[in-house]
Amino acid sequence: MLGISARSRAGWRLSAKPDEELIAEVLGGDSGAFTELAGRHRPRVERLCRRFFSDEEMARDIAQESFIRAFTALATYRAEMPFGGWLRAIVVNLCYDELRRRRRRPEELVGDFSAPEVQWMQTANVASPEDLVGDAEERREAYDLAHRLLDTLKPEDRMVMVLKESEDLSVSEIAQTLGWSEAKVKIRAFRARQALRKQAERMLAAGRSR
Amino acid sequence: MNCFEARQEFSALWRKTATAERRAELLAHLKGCRKCDHAFRVFALTAPVLYGEMEPEAARVARPARREFSLADRPRRFASVSREASLSRQPTRWLAMSAAAAIFVFAASTAYLSTRAPNESLGEALSIPEASMNSETAGDPLAPEMPMTESDLAS
Repeated sequence: MLGISARSRAGWRLSAKPDEELIAEVLGGDSGAFTELAGRHRPRVERLCRRFFSDEEMARDIAQESFIRAFTALATYRAEMPFGGWLRAIVVNLCYDELRRRRRRPEELVGDFSAPEVQWMQTANVASPEDLVGDAEERREAYDLAHRLLDTLKPEDRMVMVLKESEDLSVSEIAQTLGWSEAKVKIRAFRARQALRKQAERMLAAGRSR
Repeated sequence: MNCFEARQEFSALWRKTATAERRAELLAHLKGCRKCDHAFRVFALTAPVLYGEMEPEAARVARPARREFSLADRPRRFASVSREASLSRQPTRWLAMSAAAAIFVFAASTAYLSTRAPNESLGEALSIPEASMNSETAGDPLAPEMPMTESDLAS
């Protein structure tokens, strides 16, 4: 254990602290405690960003910007909600802004598929469900194509789909995170599913015809 | 397992969180129900992003080393190229700039060398032949003759 530095020993000690205690230390002037806090939440934040953006660099930049915003706004954090939820709201809002900025047209989906993407679409038509699960894990094109499909959704619809399906949030939690009414969340979820099914059907049909 | 229950289990099958028993039931249902089988294929097209671990093998291999959090490290979201990419393009940029400079020097030299040296000296070029001083309109037979000297003007 000779190689362990004072900082890493401190890291072990800090890792046992709850988020609220670290936040108090940051507000007390120890900005190093925020590094510990960010390290703790980074994997989850980056994973959430990757559900919105296929570009790794973009996902990491938004994650980074989220932490900077969280740091600058930490004084406004109230302990009524968990820090993870508060941070998620920041991430989601940043992703939402970025999605609105780079909104793609739905027409871009059909056509212009790469050879591996076509191969994956053909696989999706014929492979057994078990093989599909296994194949998708190993194929980058499955991931890219899923992103292309989700890119066809309106930013609002995509937000709801990701928060509901990936983050397993309830309608009221989504409404609270996005600052919408529950009715709006329900409508958006319904429309998102419809739109996604329609586009996926087109994609499967494209796979059959090639 | 009915169709409704089967569709509720799609995400568990994808995430591999379904129990062996439920998984077997679902697979059996998918084999026998064409509609649910098709619904699962539609589901599979978005599942890698919505239900996946978000770390496919290809992405893991391509990912550069993780940077530690630093407040000084501002996001480069709006930059057109990444820092790594811009560094890797440095030799290409220098090559292009060198080529442009070489073309400029070549063009300037060619232009300079292609201009002909004058056949006559500066003095010769500035001197006006006497014959041409008799009349400004010597070359034009229709032009009226203009007085050129004081005696001409007096007459």
